[in-house]
Amino acid sequence: MNNSSIGGTRRKVTNGLAMAGLIIIFIAYMFPFIMVVINSLKEKRDIIKSPFSWLFTIKGLSFDNFVKAFTQMDFLNAFKNSLIVTVSSTVLVTLLAAMLAYYIVRHNNKISKITFALMVASMIIPFQAIMIPLVSIYGGTLNVLNHRITLIFMHTGFSMAMSVFMFHGFIKGNIPIALEEAAYIDGCTHRQTFFKIVFPLLKPIIATMVILNSLAFWNDYLLPSLVLTDKELLTLPLSTYSFYGTYSADYGTIMAGLLLCVIPILILYVVLQKQIIGGVVSGAVK
Amino acid sequence: MKGKSGGKDFCGFALPGMFCFFAVVILPFVYGVYLTLTDWNGVSSVKNFVGGANFLSVLKDSQFWTSLLLTFKYVIFVVIIVNIMAFAIAYLLTRGIKGQNFFRAGFFTPNLIGGLVLGYIWQFVFSRVFVGIGEATGWSLFEASWLSDPNLAFAALVLVSVWQLSGYMILIYVAGFMGLSQDVMEAASIDGATGWVKLRSIILPLMMSSITICLFLTLSRAFMVYDVNLSLTAGAPYGTTEMAAMHVYEKAFTSRQFGVGQAEALILFVIVAIISGIQVYLTKRQEVEA
Amino acid sequence: MKKTRLTRLIAVGVLSALIASAVTGCRFGFASDPDDPNEVEVAEPIDTSVDTFQYDPSLSGTTITLLNSKAEIQNALVEMGAEYEKKSGVHVEVMPVTDGDSPYTKVVSLYNSGNPPTMSILDTTDVIALAEEKAADLSDEPWLAEAEGYLTEINGKVYSFPLCIEGRGLIYNQTVIETALGEPFDPSSIRTLDDFVALLDRLVAAGIEKPVSMAKEDWSLGAHHLQYVYETYDGTSDGAAEIINEIKDGSLDLTTYDRMSQFLDMFDVLMAYNVARADPLGADYDEMAIDLVDGKTAIWFNGNWAWPNLADADAEETDQYGFLPYFMNNDPDDFVNFQIQASPSKQVMLDGVVATDKQLAAAKEFLNWIVYSEIGQQMLVKTCNIIPPFQNNPYEPADPLSRDIYNHVHDGTAFNASAIVPNDHWAILGAAMQKYLAGRSDRTELIASIEDYWAQQQ
Repeated sequence: MNNSSIGGTRRKVTNGLAMAGLIIIFIAYMFPFIMVVINSLKEKRDIIKSPFSWLFTIKGLSFDNFVKAFTQMDFLNAFKNSLIVTVSSTVLVTLLAAMLAYYIVRHNNKISKITFALMVASMIIPFQAIMIPLVSIYGGTLNVLNHRITLIFMHTGFSMAMSVFMFHGFIKGNIPIALEEAAYIDGCTHRQTFFKIVFPLLKPIIATMVILNSLAFWNDYLLPSLVLTDKELLTLPLSTYSFYGTYSADYGTIMAGLLLCVIPILILYVVLQKQIIGGVVSGAVK
Repeated sequence: MKGKSGGKDFCGFALPGMFCFFAVVILPFVYGVYLTLTDWNGVSSVKNFVGGANFLSVLKDSQFWTSLLLTFKYVIFVVIIVNIMAFAIAYLLTRGIKGQNFFRAGFFTPNLIGGLVLGYIWQFVFSRVFVGIGEATGWSLFEASWLSDPNLAFAALVLVSVWQLSGYMILIYVAGFMGLSQDVMEAASIDGATGWVKLRSIILPLMMSSITICLFLTLSRAFMVYDVNLSLTAGAPYGTTEMAAMHVYEKAFTSRQFGVGQAEALILFVIVAIISGIQVYLTKRQEVEA
Repeated sequence: MKKTRLTRLIAVGVLSALIASAVTGCRFGFASDPDDPNEVEVAEPIDTSVDTFQYDPSLSGTTITLLNSKAEIQNALVEMGAEYEKKSGVHVEVMPVTDGDSPYTKVVSLYNSGNPPTMSILDTTDVIALAEEKAADLSDEPWLAEAEGYLTEINGKVYSFPLCIEGRGLIYNQTVIETALGEPFDPSSIRTLDDFVALLDRLVAAGIEKPVSMAKEDWSLGAHHLQYVYETYDGTSDGAAEIINEIKDGSLDLTTYDRMSQFLDMFDVLMAYNVARADPLGADYDEMAIDLVDGKTAIWFNGNWAWPNLADADAEETDQYGFLPYFMNNDPDDFVNFQIQASPSKQVMLDGVVATDKQLAAAKEFLNWIVYSEIGQQMLVKTCNIIPPFQNNPYEPADPLSRDIYNHVHDGTAFNASAIVPNDHWAILGAAMQKYLAGRSDRTELIASIEDYWAQQQ
C-alpha cells in the first residue's frame, strides 16, 4: 500500500519531467518552421534586419511574397505536375515494394537473399555517383528524358530499396504466418491472401511509407532537375528557381514558396496520422 | 506460400519491383564503376581505359582522407544522438499523452524544410540568435558565430543533422510502437514489469526491427551528408567542415576530376557498405518474430 | 453573450481583411509606409517602333534553347526571347540553371542526356573547358568587330559571345561619406593607399566606427580579392595568364613578388576597418547591403552585380554609389590606384555537336539581333540591366553601380583583365583566404598554400 503510493508519486514526477522535457524539445524542433512562417510575411530587408520581430512591428504584414511566389512559380501548373508525379510514384512504389518485400520474407531463396542484400547496399550509394551515368543511359542511349513517366519510373526505382527494407522489417516482425496458412486452408490463392489478408495488416507501415515517400518525391529537386527540362512539366521545387540569384536570394518569396509547397504534405500527414493509429494490428492475432 | 507455384509468385510479386530497382539503380551504378576505370572527364567523346590510375590519385588526395575522418566523427555523434532522441520522443508520443497528434505534427516539420532555406534559417540561428544570447549573458560559448570556429561549426552541423534526421526517425519509431501489440504491453504491466525492466526485456527486443532500420538509415544518411553540409557551412570555416560526400562532389564537378571523384564515391560506398552491413547483421540477430 | 458576438465580429473583420489582402496582393501595415504601396516594378519601356534588322524568313518555326546561368536575368531573357520570336518566328526556350547546380554540372549532364542547349550562358572557365570539344566556331561572326578587347580566344578561335561586362572594387555610399565628412567627396581625389587609410580614419573620427564591409564567402575572397594578384600584373588578361604560368612553373617567387605583398597590404587595411572585425567569418552578406545603405558602413567590397541587394535594402536608382579602386600602394601613377577592374564575365557558347544547321543559324541570328537590332540593343541594357561589351550599343545602364562601371570603361579608367584560373581556385584558395581573414594564418602560410595550389596544377 505504502509502497505503491510512493511509486505513484515518483511516477507522476517522472511523467511531469518527461512532459516538460518534451515541450522544450518540441519548441526547439518547431522553431525553424515558425521562423519560416513569420518571415514569409515580411519583406527582405526586414527579414535580414530583424527576423524575430513579430509581424506588425516594422512594415506590417504582407502577403506580397505569397502572391509573387504563386505567380512566378506558375503554381497551379507546377502543382498539377507535382501531384501527378508524386501520386503515381507513391502508389506504384508502395504496391510493388510491399509485394516484393512479402516475396522476400516468405521465400528464403537465393534470389531473395541477393536482391535484398543488393537493395540494402544500394541505399548507401551516393546519388551524385550515379547521376551522370543515369542521364547518359536514359538520355544519351534510350532518349526517354523529359517525360513524366520516366520520372515516375525513376522515383519508383530509387525508393524501392528503402521501401522494401521497411516493409520487410514490418512483415517479418508483425505479420504472423499463421494467418496466411489459415487463408490457404480456406482456399485462398496467393494473390487473394496477399491483398485480402496481408495488405490490410500493413496499414501502419503503408501510412508511414506513403508519408516518407510522397514527402521525398514532392520535395525532390535533384532528380527532377536532371529528367525534366520542359517548362510545362516542371514540379514545384523546380519552379522556385527564379527566387535564387547568383549573388542574392529572395528570402521572403523563397519562404512563401516553401510554405505553398509543403502545405499539401502537411495535410497528407495529418490525415494519414489517423490511419497509423487506426491501423494498429492489436487484436489481429487472437 | 511455399510450393510449386514459386515461379509464378516470383513473376507476380517480385519481378516488377526488382525490374524498377535494377534498371534505375544497379545499371547506372555498374556503368559508374566502369567509368572510374577510364579517363573520361564527363564531357569528352572518347573514354580511354586507364585501369587503377584514378584510384591511385585518390590515395594522393589527402583532403579526401581528412574529410573521411571528419565524417566518421560526425557519424558517431549523429547516429547515437538521433536514435536516442527519436526513440525517447516516439515512446512518449505513443503513450497517449494529451495533444500527442499535435506534437507529432510538430516533430514532423523538420522534414518539410530543405535546401537553401534550411541553411539560411540555421545560419541565422547560429550567427544571430546565439550571438544575441552571448551578448545578453556574456557566455563565451555564444560570443561569436559558431560557424566561424572549426569545432563549433562541426557541432552546429551535428545539431542541425540531429534536428532533421530525428524528425524522420521519430516517424519510423512511432510506427514501430504503434505496431507493438497492446496486449503484450498490458501483460507486461500486469506481470509487474516497470520502468527499465519493461524497456529492456520487453520493449527493446520487440522494437528491434525498427531499431535496425533506424540505425541503418541514420548511419547511411550521416555518412552521405551533403545537403546540410552544403547549405549550412559549405565547408567553412576555411574548409574544415568538408565531409566526404561534399568533397566527392567538389572533386568531380568543381575541380573537374570526374574519374577521381567517381572513384572516391565508390570507396565511400564500400566503406559505408561494410560498416552498415556489420550493423544490420548485429542488430538483426536481436530481432524476434511476432 | 455580447462579448462573444463582439469577438466574432472582430474575427470576421480581421479574416476578411486578410483574405482581401491576399487576393488583391495588397499590403496593410500598422506602421505607415507611404513610399511603398505595392512596389510594382516599372520596367523601362522598350521602343519597338524602329526595327531595321534583317531577319532570315527561312528560320521561322525553328526552336532553340538557351541555358541561363545568370539567374537574376531569367525573366528578362524570357521577355527578350518572346520579343525576338515575335519578329523572327524563332522560338527561344530559356532554361534556368537551378539552385544547387553549377552551370558546368548542368551543361555536362545535358550533354550526357543527348539534349544539350543550343546556347549556354557560362563562365569563361567553363567555355574554355568545353569549347574545343563541343562548341560551334564563331570566329567569322560580324559582332566580333564590335566587341574588340572583350573576346576570349582559344587557339586563335572565338567560341563564345561576351554577354556583359562586370566590374568590381570598393563600393562607396557618396551621401554617407559626404554627411560624415561634412564636405563634398570626390572619389578621384583618393589616389594612394595612404589617402584611402586617411579617408577611413576621417570616417571613423566622424562616428562611423568600422566603415568597411567585406564578405567572408569563399568566392569573394578567393576570386574577387585574390585574383587582383594576377590581374594587376599589367592590367591585361594576357599579363594575368603570363604571371599565372610563372607561378605555376615556379619561376616566380610569390614571397618576393611585389603585387602579392601590395595586395595583402590592402587586404590588411580592409580587415582592420572591417565592421565584422570581431568575428569576420560570422559576417552576413545581405546585412552588408543594408549596412551600406543605412550608413552604418560607407564602403563595401563587391561588384556591380550587388545592385539588386542594395535595391532590396531600399536604395534608389537616384542614390549616389560608385566604385573606388583596390588601392595597392602609394604610387599615384600606378594604374591600380585609379583604375577599376572591369571585364566580360558571362559568355554565350553555341552547341556545335547536336544542333541542326537551322538551329545554329537561328542561334547566330539571335546573337546578332542582340548586337545590331534596335530592340535587342535596348533590351540587353534596359531589360537585362547589363553593361554591354559592344561599342555600337548606345544605351546606358540605369542603376548607379553599373553606370559607374560603364563610365569608368568609357573614360578609360578601367582595366580589362580577367585571370583564367582553374575552376576550383576560388573554393580552395578561398578557404586559405578565410583562414587569413580570421587571423588563423599569416602571410607566409597563405602564400605557401597559394604556391602549393599552383604546384598541383601541372
